[in-house]
Amino acid sequence: MAAPYTHVGHSVQRNGRFLLRHLQAHRTFGWTSAVRQQAAEPKKEQEIIIPKKKTWSKVAVLEALASTVNRDPTAYPYQFQDDPYLSPRNNMEFKLFSLSQESGRAAAKYFVNNHPKFFTKDFAEPHIPCLMPETVTLCLEEVSEEALKERIQLRKVTAAVDMFDQLQQTGTAVSMKTIHNLLDLICLYCDKEPFPEEEPQTEETVSGQEQKRRTGQVHRASNYLKLTWKENNNAERIFNTLPERDTRCYSALIRGMVKHGAHAKAFSLYTDLLNNRMTADVHIFNALILAAPDVREVHMEKWDLITELLKQMNEQKIRPNLQTFNNVLKALRRSGLYVRTQAVQVLNEMKAVGIAPSLASYEHILAMFYKPGSSAQNNTVMLQEVISELQGTSFTCRDPHDSMFFLTAMRICFDYKDLELGYRVHSLLEVGENWRLLGDNYHQGIYYGRFFHLLCTMEHLEEVLKWYRLLVPSRYYLNHQSLRTLLQALDTESRLDLLPTIWKDMKTMALDNNSDLLDELLRLMTREEHSAEVQDSFADCVLDINKAFDSKPNLEWSTSGLTDATTLLLRASRTQKAWEMLQLFKSKNRVPCEVLLNSFLTACHAEANKQRAVELVQLSAAFYLPSTARLAQRVQAEFDLTEEQRDLLSELGTSGEPETDVRESSPL
Amino acid sequence: MPTNQQASKRAVMESTTSMFQRATEKASTDSEELNPALVAAASAAASTLPNPHQAESELLRQLRKRKAMSDAQKKANAESLGVIIADMKVGKRAGRQSSSPAGQILFDDDGRGFTADKGITAELASVHRRCDPLNPLTLSTNQMPLSGFEEMIQWTKEDKLWAYPINNEAGLEEEASVPFHEHIFLEKHLEEGFPDKGPVRHFMELVVGGLSRNPYLSVQHKKEHIAWFREYFHQKEDVLKEADNFLN
Repeated sequence: MAAPYTHVGHSVQRNGRFLLRHLQAHRTFGWTSAVRQQAAEPKKEQEIIIPKKKTWSKVAVLEALASTVNRDPTAYPYQFQDDPYLSPRNNMEFKLFSLSQESGRAAAKYFVNNHPKFFTKDFAEPHIPCLMPETVTLCLEEVSEEALKERIQLRKVTAAVDMFDQLQQTGTAVSMKTIHNLLDLICLYCDKEPFPEEEPQTEETVSGQEQKRRTGQVHRASNYLKLTWKENNNAERIFNTLPERDTRCYSALIRGMVKHGAHAKAFSLYTDLLNNRMTADVHIFNALILAAPDVREVHMEKWDLITELLKQMNEQKIRPNLQTFNNVLKALRRSGLYVRTQAVQVLNEMKAVGIAPSLASYEHILAMFYKPGSSAQNNTVMLQEVISELQGTSFTCRDPHDSMFFLTAMRICFDYKDLELGYRVHSLLEVGENWRLLGDNYHQGIYYGRFFHLLCTMEHLEEVLKWYRLLVPSRYYLNHQSLRTLLQALDTESRLDLLPTIWKDMKTMALDNNSDLLDELLRLMTREEHSAEVQDSFADCVLDINKAFDSKPNLEWSTSGLTDATTLLLRASRTQKAWEMLQLFKSKNRVPCEVLLNSFLTACHAEANKQRAVELVQLSAAFYLPSTARLAQRVQAEFDLTEEQRDLLSELGTSGEPETDVRESSPL
Repeated sequence: MPTNQQASKRAVMESTTSMFQRATEKASTDSEELNPALVAAASAAASTLPNPHQAESELLRQLRKRKAMSDAQKKANAESLGVIIADMKVGKRAGRQSSSPAGQILFDDDGRGFTADKGITAELASVHRRCDPLNPLTLSTNQMPLSGFEEMIQWTKEDKLWAYPINNEAGLEEEASVPFHEHIFLEKHLEEGFPDKGPVRHFMELVVGGLSRNPYLSVQHKKEHIAWFREYFHQKEDVLKEADNFLN
């Protein structure tokens, strides 16, 4: 009896353990699974290794604090948060104020450097080297390599060349490194002084310079465009006198030639280098690729030249860098349609070599395929692919041309009216510090202008207004064109009641100086009848605009503008003001139209102002308007006039009548 | 002999006290207040020499120089801008001169400080900071700070601002490696080159005591001071011997 039970007992024992184990494994009680979870978590936590000490960078605390501060759309840019009077309200002021800040800094630096005797005491602990005066004048006068190095350091081109010549004459040997630096200096600045020094000025030259400064920027830009590589300038001369020339010397000369326009010479120098059986370096090839389109006429030949150069680069075992590929793409841009297919291959090559394409590469490709004005592409698929590829990435500037990427992308979105893609491009811009890649205020203005235009034409008004409040004026200052687009958008959606707020912004941004724009504004306000408060606000606007016209001498009222203004005032029942406005017609030599006079008469009738009505007819007569008679009739019919008023009117009625008019006005 | 010595000592003491008075007057008129005890000791040491005034002035000048160095460092934080400016001579026409259109202030048309020099410089020097306005990568991006914090970050990178959290001893790394006893226990430098007893020794011990309490000079400076004194007294050794006060 016991045996089967023991057997059972054994089996229970055995199976029990098995069962229990299973039970434990498969328990699905809530709390035990939590316990198991808790049991699992400490294990995960134990895997976290807490370091004994962590070193932070110098700016870690500040970066953490800076990450708590977002951009405030209602505040001015940080560099102007000082004096409210000096906050820029439009583009011109922004430029002026930021230039004046920079020139202040330059002036301070000038003082510190040129009068070091006032800045000898050093109170800072630890020492701050960049606040101390720098040497800008030469100290070493004797003929030596040290003096030459000093001149190169201070970037005094002519002085360095003179010193070098003197050294050559005395027969002193100059180290190759210094010669390299000297050649680099001369080639960079094309043998001219980069920072022309002050010379003792005579009266004429002073006034001449003042003239130049007033005309300002254009001169500066054209000065630099005129830098062309002269035949046998100092760089070439020194180069030819060198006993042995190595790759660095050739490199300096070739790059200088390409930079300053002597493309053919650069190529001939390169063949020279090859004839001397030397290997070039990556910078030489970059420069030559850039110059290739200028030395060949036919497009295919240009591409052939570039491929030839790349092959030689491969033979000489020189690794290409990012600049190489970007220069290839830049050269391709100028090369015509059928070589564009090569552009995509270039991208593949970059990936094969392991160099990540920068924004500049993408920009070149996009510009090639989406030429402005042409309809080569039907859609924005390529841009969409590019954006998908780059989504969420944070960029640093690796090529000076990177800043054009966002501008080109937004231009494409605008040309193809692709709002969705525009939003995606903008969200890419908002990642991290990418907004810095837009560059200076000018490029920023172009980008946001295009974005804003896209929004105004494609998006609902609420969204447009939301972006308007976000962007203007903290990141973008409206100009005339974009304001017109905004007004059109308001018109399309019939939200003309927002016009007074827009007017207020116009005043702040100093956009109230264009009479066409003001006429447009008035026309929009007059187009329809609105509710009483809106009309009231319109009337306030009109009075404001009137003040603007008064204060700015170069603004002239136009007929339609005056008509609209008077109509608006009438609609808001401000008859006295309307009357004053009507007087302006005479003073500005504009003629009111009949419709206006009729509506004015109606308003007078509503107010039962007889005198005004008569005066109105007199005004009309003063203009010799054909409508005078009809007006007179209306007044006589509608108003309850005195005898003399009637007489006056009949007089006006007849005198205002043109001779060819058959109708007789019979006096009462 | 002893009476002579005593007499001379007394004379020395009397002359010392009178010199003390003179010294303090002189010190106050010199607008530099040296420690009177030190001055007295200097006078005492100088009185043993034939030309006491000159010697005393030399010694006092040396002491004053040391004091000036420490003072300059002490006053570093306390000095106000007004005092600094008051010391400078302000020329009234300096500002006008610079605003003349003789090209002394360069108006920068592109607002970026210097014109864009692309090409060679970028490849030669890959310094990627705001300090380097000639770098085309810095020029083509917008480096303006968005907030005061970012401005402080830029200043910290340019070494214009202390790094947070502030370490009091930033910039004093080499000083941190010098053990404190080298600052304080300077008597060992007195072991050679100086007599063991006498007014010179007394003076030097006071000098060493003062130096040991001076937190502003480095060990090298202190050693140089003592070396100067050593050299000085060595030069005047024969004079001291003559006066019979040079005790070995």
